[in-house]
Amino acid sequence: MCEWCEKYGDGYERWYFNPGNYARRLYKIRKEEAEALGAEADPQAAGGMAFVGQDFLEARERGDVATVEQIKQQVEGISWITHFGQVLTLEEALKIVDIMYPIGLMTCACRRSMQGLPDEENFTCMGVGTGMYKWERWPDTYRGGVHFLTPDEAKEVLAKLNKRGLVHTVFTFGTPYLAGLCNCDYPDCAAIRTVVDLGIRVLWKGHYVARIDPELCNGCASCVHRCQFRALSFSPSKNKAIIDQFQCFGCGLCATECDQDAITLVERANLPALANVW
Amino acid sequence: MLPTVTVDDQKCADPLSCRKCLLICPTHVLGLGTDVPIKKFRETDPEHFIVRGVRVDKCTGCLDCVKVCPQNAIQVSFSGGGAR
Repeated sequence: MCEWCEKYGDGYERWYFNPGNYARRLYKIRKEEAEALGAEADPQAAGGMAFVGQDFLEARERGDVATVEQIKQQVEGISWITHFGQVLTLEEALKIVDIMYPIGLMTCACRRSMQGLPDEENFTCMGVGTGMYKWERWPDTYRGGVHFLTPDEAKEVLAKLNKRGLVHTVFTFGTPYLAGLCNCDYPDCAAIRTVVDLGIRVLWKGHYVARIDPELCNGCASCVHRCQFRALSFSPSKNKAIIDQFQCFGCGLCATECDQDAITLVERANLPALANVW
Repeated sequence: MLPTVTVDDQKCADPLSCRKCLLICPTHVLGLGTDVPIKKFRETDPEHFIVRGVRVDKCTGCLDCVKVCPQNAIQVSFSGGGAR
């Protein structure tokens, strides 16, 4: 079971379906806890430059497994209290749009940081909750401004971004306060990059795992480019797409692209070896 | 092998508009940030944006960033020799 659902689900099927986690009150409580641990809990600083400590990279380089593990645990510990994400399917993202308010379409800090992407090309991130009312106070965090969306408008945007190949993720800003519905890709998303390249879990896998029906897969390979997690490849000898289910983050982008309906999402919890692979 | 990527911030005056190095790097090693904390009610001035090697584990030493920089502001070195 997902430990976040266990801790913060409050009877809801998933922790991100619990409206209480979109309430700012919780954010205040958690922020104090994070600060007591010495973490930089300022949500304004999130996004940043996607810096990874030189000490971590050097330890990795010289094969110092103990130091790598120690730094990894330290970074994850802080991240899980302050700012981390989990992958959602499109259906889940569409569902939570109805329980969060207000929804502001804003520019992506990660893509600004990694590509210098101009604001007008960069409206792919959704900020949610009362924090969005601070956008005029923090013009640098909300560069390009904020477009407030109705739930229906937000659903249209999500469907378009899914079509484009972006992964829906939900992010805490002071766990369990959920204030970001992001639409991400490798390598510019700092979270996807950090978990895929370095194995530091600032982004958790989702509640599903993709599965290919070999009878239905016609080998067109149109799904392969959709995977942002290096879980999907093409087997020339089988002439089928294949999924590394241990590496699959369950975003469902491959499934939404398949016109043979050969890819389905199965519950992670129902696969004994994957139930705790987050 | 990890490189040292140095950027001369004096020469690199407005990376947010230029961004040539960010776009050419085949492995997306470089990142953009600011050298001052953000302030209330104002955007950070362009001269406070800086480029750094943030994902140097992915640097191959191709030096495309060094060559593309119109200000000659980037240096990449590997202590074990090779690219300079």
